[in-house]
Amino acid sequence: MLRESARTLFERAGSAGRSRMLRDAEGGWDADMVRELAEAGVFGVTVPEENGGLGMGLAAGGVIAEEVGRVIAPEPVVMTVGLSLGLLRRLCPHHALMEKIINGETVLAAAWQERGPNGGPAEASCRYADGKLTGGKAWIVGASGAQGFLVVAEGDAGPVLVLAEATADALSIDKRTQADGSSMGELSFSSTPAEQLAEGPAVRDALNEAISDATALTAAELVGVSDSAFEITLEYIKTREQFDKPIGSFQIIQHRAVDLNVMREVAQAGVREVLAQMDSETDPKRRAKLASRAKARAATAAKKITRDAIQLHGAVGYTDEFDIGLYLNRALVLSAWLGDDAYHRRIWFDAREEEGAVQ
Amino acid sequence: MTDWNTLSDAEFRKEVRGFFEAEYPEELRNLPHRPKFAEIEHWHVKLHAKGWVAPAWPAEFGGMGLNAAKLLIFYEEQQRWGVNRGRDMGIQMVGPLIIKFGTQDQKDYWLPRILSCEDIWCQGYSEPGAGSDLANLRTRAEADGKDFVINGQKIWTTMAHDASHIFMLVRTDPDTPKKQQGISFLLAPMDQAGVDVRTITTLSGETEFCEVFFDNARTPKENLVGELNKGWTMAKALLSFERIFIGSPSLAQNALVQLESFARGRGAFDDPVFRDRFAQAALDVEDHAALYSRFADQLKRGETLGADVSMLKIWVTECFQRITELMIEAAGPDGGTIGPLQVGNVNVDVLASFYKARPTTIYGGSNEIQRNILSKAVLGLPG
Ligand SMILES: Cc1cc2nc3c(=O)[nH]c(=O)nc-3n(C[C@H](O)[C@H](O)[C@H](O)COP(=O)(O)OP(=O)(O)OC[C@H]3O[C@@H](n4cnc5c(N)ncnc54)[C@H](O)[C@@H]3O)c2cc1C
Repeated sequence: MLRESARTLFERAGSAGRSRMLRDAEGGWDADMVRELAEAGVFGVTVPEENGGLGMGLAAGGVIAEEVGRVIAPEPVVMTVGLSLGLLRRLCPHHALMEKIINGETVLAAAWQERGPNGGPAEASCRYADGKLTGGKAWIVGASGAQGFLVVAEGDAGPVLVLAEATADALSIDKRTQADGSSMGELSFSSTPAEQLAEGPAVRDALNEAISDATALTAAELVGVSDSAFEITLEYIKTREQFDKPIGSFQIIQHRAVDLNVMREVAQAGVREVLAQMDSETDPKRRAKLASRAKARAATAAKKITRDAIQLHGAVGYTDEFDIGLYLNRALVLSAWLGDDAYHRRIWFDAREEEGAVQ
Repeated sequence: MTDWNTLSDAEFRKEVRGFFEAEYPEELRNLPHRPKFAEIEHWHVKLHAKGWVAPAWPAEFGGMGLNAAKLLIFYEEQQRWGVNRGRDMGIQMVGPLIIKFGTQDQKDYWLPRILSCEDIWCQGYSEPGAGSDLANLRTRAEADGKDFVINGQKIWTTMAHDASHIFMLVRTDPDTPKKQQGISFLLAPMDQAGVDVRTITTLSGETEFCEVFFDNARTPKENLVGELNKGWTMAKALLSFERIFIGSPSLAQNALVQLESFARGRGAFDDPVFRDRFAQAALDVEDHAALYSRFADQLKRGETLGADVSMLKIWVTECFQRITELMIEAAGPDGGTIGPLQVGNVNVDVLASFYKARPTTIYGGSNEIQRNILSKAVLGLPG
């Protein structure tokens, strides 16, 4: 049901063609589409009913994320469901912001990571005191369309979650274009006013949980990307002729296609199982480990499938005119966000060792 | 006129290296894109004055007359210093063909213009229906008075939007028992009403290749190179050197250098898994270089290369791709970011390398086609 309605909604809007137009226009998302998704209940899918959501859990969120991936929609679905609402529903479920986000009236991006001197991730040092933020945050997805930022910073008594408006004074946003035309932001604060929403150790816990959710949902989005990339390629090798035959009649191409399909099925099964298990798992460490399993698998599969898809298309695969390149580019961006496959295999192994030590 | 071949390899290398290091414009080193001619013209002028535009051509035609050994050194140094190849399709492809199969008039007319880049060439082989199956090409050229009249379409023509001339394979006899027959090699000017060029954007947003449409375009009959209907064999004869060139270690070597500085700067070597994958890539490059010199030695002894040279291209292009994939891994959360990424005081454009590596397994005979060649012509497998 959920899958069909999400699919219909995106198909009616124009599938991957719509995503391409948005990319070519400004690289952002479509505000009307955000409202339509909100009306369908998409953003509140994992929010409990008493807080205005559908109360359906992560598995349902994954169904929607797969559909987002299939049409490479630029709307901030995973970011909103996993991160912004993931943080707010855990820390301040009664805040008025919840309703505004669920209704699609406002979009907030989450900012918690920081860039170190060597360009890679570093320990967080951004401070919040006297209602003001100082420091910077990096790798913020959705920075160019969001009305505000949910910033996790260090307060006087431990971590805080604060809201900085996108239009706030003394906030500068450096936007970096991504392979899929979206942009990622780097924020710098110099006594930027921000409103405190929550504080204490609960902030760190909620952040970790929200990251797990978003990681697993990104895996589901990648599964959708892989599905479409594979289907487009399968159709192509059936129709493209060389040497007076469809190229799909050459055995090397057939075996390649079979391998990609097996990979896609394995990824879909693994990721869906993870999402279902995360819904019944309460231990944050085990949830994080599950999320890593999903992301590791989905990123490996999506990268391989989209890259092989280009190869199987030949030169047309290397053009921007064919949609297949859009899938390659989206896979690049989603794989890099929240940790790639190599990163998550490492995390997964460490978590497994830790579990073993406890038992 | 210097006979470069009389120098020792070491002396020659020193000479070439010295010239590039002293004269090559810094801003053109390791260009991430294919330049238009205007962008590199100042360098071409210097190279032309030095007489070094065509290292492989015999000296009598204005080349450097290098033997295979010296030629490989020249290219190694060129790549080592990140010297752009320039708009070299005239030099690499048309020139050698005219030298080998052209008439005296053709040599006198075209060769100096290729050297001076007064004419800039693009390669019109592929068509929508003729990619891997190149012999399936349909673009027609029909005799009409003093001219050939050309109708049809070429595609994937690299830099056609910045070329004055196109060298092409065209069908001059549509009724032959085999598709490979009835194909001729023709030169044509691009600047005429019957030729229409449309650029194609690549998935990384560059415009480096084009579609070229021919609608009653004309070219004088004297622009046929070699015999009528014998173009296929001639084009094949050109491939021998191209096949080792396309399998040379340089792209992978350059990418490895970038990977190393980037990964080191980002601290990726702290991870033993990453170290292992880097070591694997580095050894893949080194051992490929060993195999490459085996083929290079064959050329130096004046032997022609066999079909087994295809293995160089398969290995090095796939290795190049893995190296660029490791760069993305080392970039972590920046792995989807377009443009140069800063590490310390160097900038590495990770995605540009990644994109550059993708089509290397498609053009120059796709890796699947190379594998077909190896399995049949080298391993003698049936089918
Ligand atoms: C960046 C770039 C620059 C180029 N520049 C030029 C240029 O300047 N001039 C020019 O003429 N051409 C150029 N080309 C075209 C290039 O030569 C062709 O892309 C190449 O010949 C492959 O043809 P195709 O793209 O039509 O792919 P197809 O032949 O349609 O192949 C599609 C897929 O099927 C596979 N395949 C095909 N046949 C078989 C088989 N028998 N067995 C197994 N697998 C098979 C291929 O390996 C590939 O994976 C360029 C291409 C690229 C990507």
